[in-house]
Amino acid sequence: MGSFVDFFLGGVANGAVIALMALALVLVWRSTRVVNFAQVGQAMFTTFVGLSVLQLTGSWFVALAVAVIAGALLGLIVHVLVMRPVRRADSSGAIIATFGVLIALQSLAAMIWGGEPRSYPTPVEYVGLEIFGRVFPITPYDILVLVVTALLVAALAILLTKTKLGLSMRAAAFNPEVARLSGVRVSRMLAVGWVIAGMVGAVAGVLVAPTSTLSPNSFDIFLVFAFTAAVIGGLDSLVGAVAFGIGTGLVLSLVTGYSDASNAAIVALVLLGLNLWFKPDGVFSHHKARSV
Amino acid sequence: MLIVEGLSVSYGPVQALQDVSLTVPPGQVTAVIGANGAGKSTLLRTLAGLVRPEAGRVTFNGDDITGWAPEDVVRSGIAMVPEGRSTIPELSVEENLRLGGLWRTQAQRNASEAKVFALFPILQERRHLRADTLSGGERQQLAIGRALMCGPQVLLLDEPSLGLAPLIVTQILELVRDRARETNLAVLLVEQNAVTALRVARTGMVLNLGRVVQQGPAAEIASDEQLRHAYLGY
Repeated sequence: MGSFVDFFLGGVANGAVIALMALALVLVWRSTRVVNFAQVGQAMFTTFVGLSVLQLTGSWFVALAVAVIAGALLGLIVHVLVMRPVRRADSSGAIIATFGVLIALQSLAAMIWGGEPRSYPTPVEYVGLEIFGRVFPITPYDILVLVVTALLVAALAILLTKTKLGLSMRAAAFNPEVARLSGVRVSRMLAVGWVIAGMVGAVAGVLVAPTSTLSPNSFDIFLVFAFTAAVIGGLDSLVGAVAFGIGTGLVLSLVTGYSDASNAAIVALVLLGLNLWFKPDGVFSHHKARSV
Repeated sequence: MLIVEGLSVSYGPVQALQDVSLTVPPGQVTAVIGANGAGKSTLLRTLAGLVRPEAGRVTFNGDDITGWAPEDVVRSGIAMVPEGRSTIPELSVEENLRLGGLWRTQAQRNASEAKVFALFPILQERRHLRADTLSGGERQQLAIGRALMCGPQVLLLDEPSLGLAPLIVTQILELVRDRARETNLAVLLVEQNAVTALRVARTGMVLNLGRVVQQGPAAEIASDEQLRHAYLGY
């Protein structure tokens, strides 16, 4: 039983980062109906940028801020240079284009920073907290991750539900024609979606980097987990992305704890398969409402 | 004033509109009627900027707005209510309304919202509910309300009667007509339901296969039996 609690606690912080990456996928999907497979590539790239800044300035938080700015820029660049030109093609063309961006970013990162795995430091300790003489697998760094995630999710929720920009973005995602007729510049909202997703992904990248290593390919497995969470959540539901992101983290932690880490990706794919079989619209999907 | 001259639109090889001209005067309802596929919706969608015309000119208050994007057309003062109670079900009633005219000042938006609530009180009552909990008639009111939130001088209404009980359609259209009179709003109403449309309109136009077959006072069109049999199917 003790180990169950450990595995459970250990999964929460991991799940929070998966939730952020899933959020980034959902933000792009909602505005453009494209699954952005390059999202982890963008996050990897901006995390390398963060690492360079970290080595230069020595400040973890400055590095995070620069990575987020780089994430916004990279999101905009990918949108303007790649996604907008392929928009006239069918949606599978756009999805293949995101794979192209992923490969390009990985190659570019390897050219700039090399293929060797690097370690990314933490700003606070990364050892289990000791409470009443027992060591729990939740570290001060995990708590930082949870706090940053919670703040970011809250900020996104406020942006989307309480601001004019958020209303425009949601309307543009749900019904572009009605949005345009109401005066919303829908194409601009698509760009905003890519920028915000890039920023959220950048945060996820920097947060997850210290828990593994950073190399041009090290986030690939992360894509599987985030994609699973996003799809099970319904792909267009932000609540679903967060809930199933954390849920996926917990499940993976239990799987890793009771069997072996190498099974985690397989379990994620099985979960995805079951979901597509039994509830293809996702658990939190808006699809029902749309068909009314 | 909205003036359309020699408008032609085609979808690939299909000619949807051919040489259509009309004027939409303020303070009254102008009806465009005709059978399914006559090009009525195409006309409205072209005026709203959703479809690019092949030839012709659309001028509004002296500006040539031909080929403008919808978001610019609506800013110039022409708001459209598309076919099919075009509300966004995932948003609340208030959010659906507030979506209209986001570029306007807060004061303008508040004033418009108060007017919409005065016109359609049910929307104020239900403003915190999701739009998909509304009845068909309420959703049509919401769609019109959102267009009015843009502070338009011209309102384009596409088939508001679709799927609604006749009594409700009449009620809504009479409200719109009264509002047009009171606020000098120009309303261009596209309807398959000719009887209802001609009842609230002052002038009308009959379209058939993309061409204008008749244009004149609504009462005259309504009483022209030959026209009715030939193009309106009743």
